Order: sequence, then C-alpha cells, then structure tokens
Amino acid sequence: MAVCAKGLDRILFSTRLFQNLRLRNERSISTSLCRLAPDEKPTKFTPPPKPVVMDKTLTAESLRKFLSPEFIPPRQRTDPFKFYMERIDMIRRRKVLTIPEFYVGSILAVTMADINASGKINRFVGICTQRSGKGLGATFILRNIIDSQGVEICYDMYSPRIQKIDLLRFEKRLDDNLMYLRDALPEYSTVDQDMKPEPFSLTGEVPLNDLKVKMLPKPWSKRWERPKFNIQGIRFDLSMSEKKMEHAQKWAKPWDEYDMLKEYDTSKLEQEILSEVQQEMSKQG
Amino acid sequence: MALPLLSRSLTGLLAESSSILQQRTFSVSAVAAAIQKMSRVRVVDNSSLGVTPYHRPPRVIHVYTSNGVGKVGDKVLLAIKGQKKKALIVGQKMPGERMSPRFDSNNVVLIEENGNPTGTRIRVPIPTHLRKEGDFSKILAIATAFV
Amino acid sequence: MLAWSSRCLLHRGPRLISLRAAAESPAHLVGCFRTVNTTIRFDEHLTEDNQEYMRKSMAEEYRKQTTDKLNPLKDEPWPRHEWTEGSQRVGLVAVKLGMAPIWMKTGEKHAVTMLQVQDCHVLKYMSKEDMNGHSAALLVGGKNVSPFYRSDEEMEMFRNAGVPPKQKVTTFKVSDNGIIKPGTPLFAAHFRPGQYVDVTAKTIGKGFQGVMKRWGFKGQPATHGQTKTHRRPGSSGPVDAAKVFKGKKMPGMMGDVYITAHGLKIWRVNTKYNVLYVQGSVPGHKNCVLKVRDTVLPNRKSSLRSLPFPTYFTEEEGDLDEDLYEDNVFIHTDQSLSLT
Repeated sequence: MAVCAKGLDRILFSTRLFQNLRLRNERSISTSLCRLAPDEKPTKFTPPPKPVVMDKTLTAESLRKFLSPEFIPPRQRTDPFKFYMERIDMIRRRKVLTIPEFYVGSILAVTMADINASGKINRFVGICTQRSGKGLGATFILRNIIDSQGVEICYDMYSPRIQKIDLLRFEKRLDDNLMYLRDALPEYSTVDQDMKPEPFSLTGEVPLNDLKVKMLPKPWSKRWERPKFNIQGIRFDLSMSEKKMEHAQKWAKPWDEYDMLKEYDTSKLEQEILSEVQQEMSKQG
Repeated sequence: MALPLLSRSLTGLLAESSSILQQRTFSVSAVAAAIQKMSRVRVVDNSSLGVTPYHRPPRVIHVYTSNGVGKVGDKVLLAIKGQKKKALIVGQKMPGERMSPRFDSNNVVLIEENGNPTGTRIRVPIPTHLRKEGDFSKILAIATAFV
Repeated sequence: MLAWSSRCLLHRGPRLISLRAAAESPAHLVGCFRTVNTTIRFDEHLTEDNQEYMRKSMAEEYRKQTTDKLNPLKDEPWPRHEWTEGSQRVGLVAVKLGMAPIWMKTGEKHAVTMLQVQDCHVLKYMSKEDMNGHSAALLVGGKNVSPFYRSDEEMEMFRNAGVPPKQKVTTFKVSDNGIIKPGTPLFAAHFRPGQYVDVTAKTIGKGFQGVMKRWGFKGQPATHGQTKTHRRPGSSGPVDAAKVFKGKKMPGMMGDVYITAHGLKIWRVNTKYNVLYVQGSVPGHKNCVLKVRDTVLPNRKSSLRSLPFPTYFTEEEGDLDEDLYEDNVFIHTDQSLSLT
C-alpha cells in the first residue's frame, strides 16, 4: 500500500512538473522567435530542443499536499455516499480541465464559453474574493475594477462552460473571505487585464500576502469590525476610533470556542479523501 | 448617484491624506440591490443630462415590468434633474445568474422615446447577456467594453 | 414481567387490589397503572460472542438473499407479456440522497435530486380480487432493516418472498400483463433517462402552524391601530351562512403528509450504484424512503414507450453502461463546451 501510494505520488509530481516545464518552454520559444527575426531566416523554423531540467531538490514528499476545499463534505446528516458520487464526477471533470490550486486572494483568469460574447469566448481576470459551495456546486468569485466600475463574476467551478483557468498570481491573504474589498479603496481590487502569469513554487508554504487595506469612508456594506467576521486585513485604525472598535467587541462571543458541538475536525477525513482523489486522478482513461 | 459617489471619493481622499482626522461623513444608505421605484441609479453614458452634477441623484420612478423589479435589459422611467426620462438598465448590483457579472452600482443608459440612446458613448463595461435580453443594437453599438 | 403482573392485577378485579393494597405499600399500586415498556432488545440475553455470531450470520443470510439471488429468470419465472397501450408497470422504492447540479450540452444548469434504489424487491402479488376488483397490485419493499424488531406476522410476507425485511413496503397498482414474481430485485435501470416519473413521499413535518405559514394568508398590518391581530386568520366566513364551511383553512399540523411531485424528468441513471438523477426537488427530507413510478400525466405518457417491460432483468440487458444519460446532458468526461 505504501509503495503504491509513493508510486502515485511520483506520477502526480511528474505531471505537475511537466506543467511547470511547459510554462517555461512557452517563454523560451517566444524569446527565440525574437532572436530569429533579425537573422531573416524564416524559411524553416526548427524548434529548439526541449531542455529537460529536473530539479533534484524536488521530490514527491516535498511537494505541497493539497486538497481543494469543495472535496470536504459539510457536517450534516447526508449519506457520505452522495458525496462519493459527486466526487466521481468532480474527478472526471478535473481530468479534462486543469483546475489549479488557488486560494482566496490569488489572481486568476477564467476563459469561458459565452453565447452572447463576440467570438463566443469571454475572458475575465480578477482577484478571488470568495470560495463557497461543496461538491459539484462549488463556486468562486472573481473581482476586478474595469473603467472604474467594480465587476464581480461568480463562477461554477465544474461548469462545462469554463474552458481554461489560469493562475496568474499564487498567494494567500490574511482572511478567507475578501468581500470587504467592495468597501475598500478601488486600487486593492484593480487587476491588469493583460497580466502575465507570475512563477510560483510547487513546494513549501503557500506565500502569504499580509497586505492590510484602507477602506472607503463609512457606511460599509457590512460592519466589518464586528467580531463575527474576524477580519485581519483591514486598517481599522484609519477609519474607526478606538472607542468604536471597543464598542464593536460587545458582539463578541468568547464562549464559542468552548462549544464542542461546533467543532468539526476534518483532518482525518481530508487525508482519506486526498488519497482517494490522488489515486483516481493518476488512473488513466 | 453621481453626487454621493463624488462626495464619497472626496472624503476617501481626505481620509487618505489625514488618517488621524476622523471625518464625519453624512450617512448615505447603501444603494438598493434590486431596482425598483425610488431606487437611486448611476447614469453611465456621456449625455449632458447624465454627466452634469445636480444636487439630487437620479431616481427610478417607474419600472416597466410586471413585478416592479428591474433587471438588466428592463426599461425604467427616471426622475433626473427635474425631468422625466426613460432609461435602460445595463448593470445591476443584485447578483443574477451564475457566471454573469454583478456590478458595484446600478447602471442605466438614457434612451429616447423611440429607444435610441441619448448619449454617444458608454463609459463602463456592459454585460454580454444584454444581447440576449432584447434588441438593443444601438445601445450595444455605443458600448466601449463588455464583460 | 411487571407489565404482565399489572395487567393481571387489573383483570382480577378490585377485590384483589384492595386486599393487597392494605398489605403492601401504596407505591406498588401506583406502579400498577404506569405503562411499562417490556420490549427487549434482541441482544439483551445474549453473550457478546453470540451477538457477534448473530450479526455475522444475519449479514451472510442477507447477502444470500439479495446479491446472490439476482437471477429470478432462472428459477421458474412467471410468464412474460408484451407491452401494450395502457400497460402499467411497477414502481420502485428509493432513498433520497440529496441534491446536486447537472449541466446540459447547451451550457445551462439544472438542479437534480439523487435517489438511490437500495435493496428494492417485489414482495407479494395481490390479485384483482384481493384489491376489491379494481386492479392487480404488487407490494414492493425497499431498504433492508433488522429482522429482530419485527413480529412473526410481519415477517411472514418477507419469508415467503425470501428477502430480508424492509423499512418501507408500498403498493403499486399494475396492469395484468405487468406482474412480476415475488422476490424479484428491482434496479434503477427500471427507469430510463428521458422518461418522466412521479415521486411520492412524506413531507417534512412542520408541527402546528398558523394560517400565514400553512396556507399563505396575508395576515394583518403591523401598525395602524392593530390590537393583538397580526398573524391571525381574520374572518372565517360570511355572516349569512351562520356557520363555518367545511374545509375552511385553519391553523393546524403542517407537513408530514404524503405528497406527490408529478412529471419529473429523469436526466441520468447510474446502473452500478443504482442512482436516479431526477429533475428538481422531491418531497421529504434527506435519507427518507420514497416511492417512484411512471408518470400519470397524460401529456408525458409518450415518454413511457420503449421501456423495459415488466422490469429490467440483469441477465437480459446485462451489458448496460455504468451511466445512462439523456441526450442533452453534458457528460463530465467530454471536452469543455465551446457554444459556437
């Protein structure tokens, strides 16, 4: 069993490495084209030999273990078999469409089929502000400001209309939900439409961007200072007085952390599902 | 909508320049997500009615739908600068279908009685599913960007 | 034991009680009238080894009765008949798993309910005479349960059919050519994608509710001089009638009644795990046992031609795909849509 799991890991690792290499190759091809142009020998283009650079420091063990959050079933009385049936479909879809590992705060570009758009293709770049839903109905929200107009699109992650998901910047933010960007200064949710993908590593910790945003003056769409949101990424000192911040603590529920009924430890479940997903993903056909 | 937006951005600038100063902004209730009677809207074309500032924001005084709630592609009657003008909703704050854009403000374009747009350019992106809602080719023609 | 003695005491008449009451403490008298639950659990008087053995042997027996006995055609099947116009097939008993999205090839999304057919068997054939001369019927049960909590009378039907006891047993009226031998297992492939079904189940109980929640009355305004009148029903009828008409909508128990959702399309059938993907929502809570049958809607009857009749037998069409899809449904192994 252990040998089998190791073998699977190696397969998974090699596919991810291959994707990374492909990205590098694209870049190298473009530079070679630039060099070719002044030589004026466009008669026959011979692609340069693919440099297979294996990073010896990368091993299957050092690769980041990652399970997309929609695989973890919510805590309820639904038969676990239902989530198993959904996982089968999710894995089938993931074999066709590469859904990268991303977090709230990462910058993504989504290409989707749109019957109304010109060219029937719609590409939207934005910062991921929220991930929600479990199973096949998982969604994520991208936010951007185009022509000083805030625009958000909520995508169904497993919709067949999605043709491509590109990860442009890979990072986490201080919060798991960035809905407060609606009330923040527009510069924090503005993303260039022609942004180039930035390189990221497949090992180690996820890079954390500890940016704290400045907010527009009140009123906000929600009272973000309230303890139930538990927001770390807002500079409250600029928009709220000390007294008001203290007043907001009136709604704190310090007893909640001792409520054992609200505990939901998914670590064991996560391990099981991760191994199941890895096993299925490495199967061919 | 134009004026509160201006005031908000102005106060935002103030807050940026002097963080210690706790400015007292006058309370402006949030823009309603659904467009119904008395909703404040933002005019996004470059018609003279829409761009010149006025002390009262444009308000919807009638929605030409059966249920009284306006969505993208519905026509509304606006009270703007003391006049009554028809307008077309080209962006809404209320989330619509999945995979369709949701805007931060309720956007309208002023139209004449015959359906032609009053302005010559739309300054903000337009949702592509406006094409599905009806025949607005003259409004789509003056749009600058689509999302 | 206690209950028996108390019943005995009551039957013997007051003389005995009065006699004994004098001798014994009054607390015992009180005990006589208390209802005592005498149900014993099956493992109460068993050692742990025996319990283990019982559980194992029961599981073994269940396996024999369900999975090993999937070929009803081999041992003396009942004569088969052809499908004719107006034939009525048997239905299934299924378990509601929950809801999920499904996508069409045109890109639109639908909500579907997943229903799993668990250990569904035909239990008994009721002839026309048994059913008051209206129509023949088949008793169908679904979802195996423990036999230890059933009385012998209840178990008789299951024993005759040679299947484990079921949580739910329902009656399906069938036409005379659609009868099946008791003991036959029924599968999700009994229904095919594209056809319409009716789903009957008990709705979620809401308890005693007022008229606003139960019947959608408007209630009264919150202000303008209302005194204790906000969610009340108002008038219960005209003055001239001098009575309240029968069927007047009143507060009362809401939910927990059988409701049928008619004309739900089947988008997909998983034959490996016996899961039906039915359009939209169905009554009942999660994990409830419900009844699925061919639709009775006259306009949707045309979808019921070319279905397996009287039911799907594994040895006839054993090579069915794992998943059967309706033509318009997007299959997740396909490439992404381009919508040109």
